[in-house]
Amino acid sequence: MTGLAVVLAVLALSPFVWLLLMSFKTNAEIFRFPPRLLFDATLANYAALWTSEFRNSFANSLVVSVASTVLSLLVGVPAAYALSRWTRRGGGAITLWILASRMAPPIAFTIPYFLVYRHLELLDTRTGLVIIYLTTNLSLVIWMMRPFYDQLPRALEEAAWIDGATMWQGFTRIILPLSGPGLAATAILCFLFAWNDFFFALILTRTEAMTAPVAVVNFMNYEGWEWGRIAAGGTMIMLPVLVFSFIVRRYLVSGLTGGAVKG
Amino acid sequence: MTVIRRRTILGGAISAPFATLAAPAVNAQGGKPHAGTTINAACFQTTYFTYLKDYFPQFEEKTGIKVNFNMQAFPVYNQRTDLELSTKGTALDVCNATFIYTGRWIGAGWLTNLDTFTKDRKYTPADWEPEDFAGGPQSAMKNAKGETFGFSWEGGAMITSAARYDLIEKAGLGMPKTFDELIKVCDAVHNKENVAAFTADKLHHWNWIPYLMGMGGAVFKAPPENLTPTLDTPQAAKSADWYANLLMKYGPDGLLSYSDDQAMRSQMSGRANIRTQAITWMVPLAKHAESTVQKTVRYGLMPAGPDGNFPGSNSHGLAIPAGSKKKEAAWEFIKWALSKETLNMVVKDHGYPSVCRLSVIRSPEFKKVLTLNGQDVASLYLEVLELGGKTGYMKYRTVPVYPQVGDKINKAIERIATKQQDAAAAMKQAQSESLSDLKKAGIKVDQG
Repeated sequence: MTGLAVVLAVLALSPFVWLLLMSFKTNAEIFRFPPRLLFDATLANYAALWTSEFRNSFANSLVVSVASTVLSLLVGVPAAYALSRWTRRGGGAITLWILASRMAPPIAFTIPYFLVYRHLELLDTRTGLVIIYLTTNLSLVIWMMRPFYDQLPRALEEAAWIDGATMWQGFTRIILPLSGPGLAATAILCFLFAWNDFFFALILTRTEAMTAPVAVVNFMNYEGWEWGRIAAGGTMIMLPVLVFSFIVRRYLVSGLTGGAVKG
Repeated sequence: MTVIRRRTILGGAISAPFATLAAPAVNAQGGKPHAGTTINAACFQTTYFTYLKDYFPQFEEKTGIKVNFNMQAFPVYNQRTDLELSTKGTALDVCNATFIYTGRWIGAGWLTNLDTFTKDRKYTPADWEPEDFAGGPQSAMKNAKGETFGFSWEGGAMITSAARYDLIEKAGLGMPKTFDELIKVCDAVHNKENVAAFTADKLHHWNWIPYLMGMGGAVFKAPPENLTPTLDTPQAAKSADWYANLLMKYGPDGLLSYSDDQAMRSQMSGRANIRTQAITWMVPLAKHAESTVQKTVRYGLMPAGPDGNFPGSNSHGLAIPAGSKKKEAAWEFIKWALSKETLNMVVKDHGYPSVCRLSVIRSPEFKKVLTLNGQDVASLYLEVLELGGKTGYMKYRTVPVYPQVGDKINKAIERIATKQQDAAAAMKQAQSESLSDLKKAGIKVDQG
């Protein structure tokens, strides 16, 4: 069984290892046939990234992803809690409408977003991207977090209220700490969506707010591709996601399954 | 003694502000009517504009116009510009008219008619000579009425290269001049010294068409007027089968997934020998520092088929978006960027091989640049550019719906090459899918 797991892990990791190795090769080495396992590694591709516009794009990606994740959680988590505790009619319909924002394919919104952003002068701005990712992530946050709150007994917050806590204090001091794993899993998914997005960043940015996934494509020149830099850029793009996932891995599994076992 | 009268003072006071207003811009700006203007220009990433950027200070000094020139990857540029032009945006003052989009962009009225500038001596001196641009590349920049919407900065002329010509010589053969000779050469040299005889990229809708036409086939009935596809003809099936066999029998492993760059690298690294492709991807074999075939590469015209020789030729040009608010300043830039002086400078300093001005192509400097391994490749280049313009056989590629039809061609060739379908069935399917797409796009096609 362990052997099979190792084989599967090797198979799953092989594209990433290939990319990583490519990032340390010269173009001539990349196209050497048959490829060599042992070669003279070079950091030239990474150095080239650092001196190119990729550096700014990487910073843009970080800023936009972190900001949109934090804002999505700030707005979405209280909304999920409110919808979970909603006792009047219409709560289900509202939740469904929120989800509807993710039902249409992104390309359906391209031209309206583009025109509105041009009018509002939000094209090629980090703010513009943060707003887009916030709106698309909000439904994810609400739909992921609501089941967590559904399964938490109301008696917990009612006890806090009896002790004199306000509704907000009950939420922040009692409920929120209990939903840690769910918050971590949701934050990862929000971050991943914003971090990996290519389409909106392609359409709504030019140079100033261009993100890393679009910047990597810019190494595909008309007369030839810069394979080494593409690989180095790809590796750099994977890095924050790996680090972030590693940090919160403890919460990840329980967070992703936590809301699914209600009842 | 001059007597200052009340009337003089009053008259002077009234006329002074008007005199200031009426002062010609030339006086105010030192002969630079657009001084202080900033224009935004964009193109996909290419060596020509990388080189040209070094000379921008000269243009800015000459005109006082500042240029923000942005370069993006080919697909990124096309996607963004298509959206920008379709919404009549004002973000761009100069754009690249990408060959495959010229029909769509010109046909939809998204680019400015440049005849208004070239025919007016106020904007363009006679010695700028718009007629100096080769006919082939320029044909893509014109509409059906012959009005010009762009000027070409790059001409892609399809030629043949043999990265390991030494192997062909060893076999007692020469550069293939016909389709039959190509097969004969491939048979003789395939896998000699571990070198595959032929290579190509996966854009069959560009690479295969010269072979289709050479065997008497065509993509459309009579483009741009009649866009009825003709992919299910016996000639098309025969040619597709022949081409798929060429790829699979003589190509290196994995050929069907090759990008342009991978195909070029397969030649540069000495893994593959012959390729028919635009000159832009051929010159690096002789000039690129990483090329291992610099000493052995040779060039020739595209081989001819039984029905003639139809080497692909394309072009990319500079244009002014219809939405630009700074068209005159934009024209100043195009005029400078594609002037004989600037092009000569780029050719001389950087050896740029794909210019479209005939006077530059015929210059000794250009000939020197394109003399590769002692071969006069400049004349091959010129021959293809002129051929494409004469008969207009490249018109098929500038029609707005070609990207959809091209996609069907790519898939059909793949199905034939991988033996999923025989050639006749695959091309019949391509025909029916293309017809369906064209009808959806509202294109009138012949019935039956």
